[in-house]
Amino acid sequence: MSWLIPAALGVAAIGALATIALHFIARSRPVAEPLPTARFIPDRAIHARTRSMALTDVLLMLLRLTAVVLLGFAVAGPVLAAGGKVSRIVLADRSRAVASVEAVRDSARVYLRQGDQLIAFDSSASLARTTTIDSIVASRARGSLSAAFSSATRGGVRAAPTADSIELILISPLAEEEVDPATMKLRAAWPGRIRLVHVVGSETVEKPARVEVRAGQSDAVAAGLSLLPALGAPVRVVRGQLTVDDSSWARNGNLLVHWPATDADADWPHRASIDAIGGVSAGRATLVGRFPRPWALSGRVVARWADGEPAATETVVGTGCVRDVGILIDESSDLTLRESFRSFAYELLAPCGGRRASAKIDSASIAVLAGAGALASSTNLRDKATETSPWSPWLLVAAALALIAELSLRRASSRFA
Amino acid sequence: MPTDASYGALLDAVRGVHWPARRAVVSAVAGTHRSKQRGTSAEFTEYRLYRQGDDPRRIDWRLLARSDRAYIRLATDRAVLPTTIVLDSSVSMAFPMATREKWRRAQEIAVGLAAVAHADGDPVGVAVAGDDGDIRMVPPRTRRGVVSEVARVVDAADPDSAGEMGKLLRATRTKRIALITDMLDDDDLLIAAKVHIVGGGEVHLVHIVAKEEVDPPRRTMLAADPERPALQRLLVDATRREYDEAFGRWRAGIAREWRSAGASYTEVITDEPAAHAVRRIAEPPAYGAPRL
Repeated sequence: MSWLIPAALGVAAIGALATIALHFIARSRPVAEPLPTARFIPDRAIHARTRSMALTDVLLMLLRLTAVVLLGFAVAGPVLAAGGKVSRIVLADRSRAVASVEAVRDSARVYLRQGDQLIAFDSSASLARTTTIDSIVASRARGSLSAAFSSATRGGVRAAPTADSIELILISPLAEEEVDPATMKLRAAWPGRIRLVHVVGSETVEKPARVEVRAGQSDAVAAGLSLLPALGAPVRVVRGQLTVDDSSWARNGNLLVHWPATDADADWPHRASIDAIGGVSAGRATLVGRFPRPWALSGRVVARWADGEPAATETVVGTGCVRDVGILIDESSDLTLRESFRSFAYELLAPCGGRRASAKIDSASIAVLAGAGALASSTNLRDKATETSPWSPWLLVAAALALIAELSLRRASSRFA
Repeated sequence: MPTDASYGALLDAVRGVHWPARRAVVSAVAGTHRSKQRGTSAEFTEYRLYRQGDDPRRIDWRLLARSDRAYIRLATDRAVLPTTIVLDSSVSMAFPMATREKWRRAQEIAVGLAAVAHADGDPVGVAVAGDDGDIRMVPPRTRRGVVSEVARVVDAADPDSAGEMGKLLRATRTKRIALITDMLDDDDLLIAAKVHIVGGGEVHLVHIVAKEEVDPPRRTMLAADPERPALQRLLVDATRREYDEAFGRWRAGIAREWRSAGASYTEVITDEPAAHAVRRIAEPPAYGAPRL
């Protein structure tokens, strides 16, 4: 048996000890007893309390102790063991890092049993009981182990009431691009070891660069982009309004960057109040200057303003993507000619889903991901804020009965005193 | 509540006990007590010279023949002494609450004294106050069954009246009155008793004291006077000695005052058997003997 809130047991123990201590310390006001010769007692201001230990006192103490202990048990929430049952959560990677999703399905079939949970993930993961092995399809999105672990934790909370231990199985190529700064922290939040099942990752060779900029005469951004080294993927940068041809070009698996030169070149939703900000960053590059912010962008964030709001976002279109860049560059500035702009543009023009890092993560990181020790205990995964014990209501009723009995006994003893 | 039959052992125990008058009584009815009147009974006392107006039939003719002097033969008369037992039925007599020992002992002594007086041939009655303020009384009688009648009245009474022993005493016309009380209620009882004694009456005060009053429980207690609930005093070790001294002084003062007034005073602690107490009241120790 385990407890949802074990600390409540300590509080109940302290309460029980306090009850016993108070029982021996507390003294009651003496009950007036008839004495016809009371007039011969000197009339002096004496304050006294009586302390006595009668059978009723012992019963009262026992009833009070019972009530306190039962209340403590009810708050602590006893949970009976699930008979050693081990539940499994299978994390199946379907991101672009996977060479063959069939291999992932085959591995999942090996480990998935009746009643286990299957979570398929790429950049996001969804926890649904209806997920089946056959419903796992390959995705072009970048994989995220952080999203997988986060979803696994929710699955663990769901499985905890019916299992003693939970085994987490991760089927993934464990590519570097799937690890972000939050991954190890989320892994540490999983209270047990993880079985890692490695599948072969994809090894995509990026195509030679072919940058196509459609802009007006003497466009500052176009000038800056012309100074870029060769990029790894085909890119079209549009400084004006998009055309149907642009969209179809993106749908064919290419990267289309819509970087309007003026406010009129985009019909994106505007911010509630247009302001200006002093910096924007993309990846490891930062651009410092004074930039007006007319738009509120949505989608996968590629660049952020200094205050964290999206400055450029990516939307998947067909097999390619459209990247909206809401950064207005002053035509008269020489910002685009600087090295910082080239670094910034290099990040902005990365392939759809970001640059690929398909290499397998190092063995030390794999060891950390796998962990050691026992499987995750359901006790550590219980959602103690929302989960309730089926015994708590009965324990509360028993405590209430003990308190009623205590009240009755106290009234009876005071009546016959 | 005790019944008439429950007095059987007591009545057996007091059989043969006499309750003589403390002084010569004046009564026309022949009885067992020494009378102030000198009459013609067989018990010779003295001779007295004949005076004009004396009954010539009382002249001792043989002495006249021998001495030629007319003497009248005097003899002490024996008379009855009507007795009323006055019972205090105030609330303080119902103590301790659980056993009502004081009230029970007072009832037994009342019936015991009535039986003793009746055995001496004296008319005996009882007076006790009811809870409604009226007086329940059995007038002094000598007929058979009067003791049972006294027992019934005593048993029917309850210690829930306001006391008023002085009023009861003033309402009683008999020569001998036995007051059975705890003396905690009536302040003018002594005055009424003095009036009765000055009028030639005889008063016996039976002071009932509960042993729990003499030796209260050895623990802290908030004592409340049952007749004055507002009076509450704390009895602790610090006040116990002063209580003992004050209560002892009060009892000694009562004994002194009542004896000085000419009354007979007997203190009865509730742990004393009723028959023993009746014997002490009726047959006081001889002069010089230790007073129990």
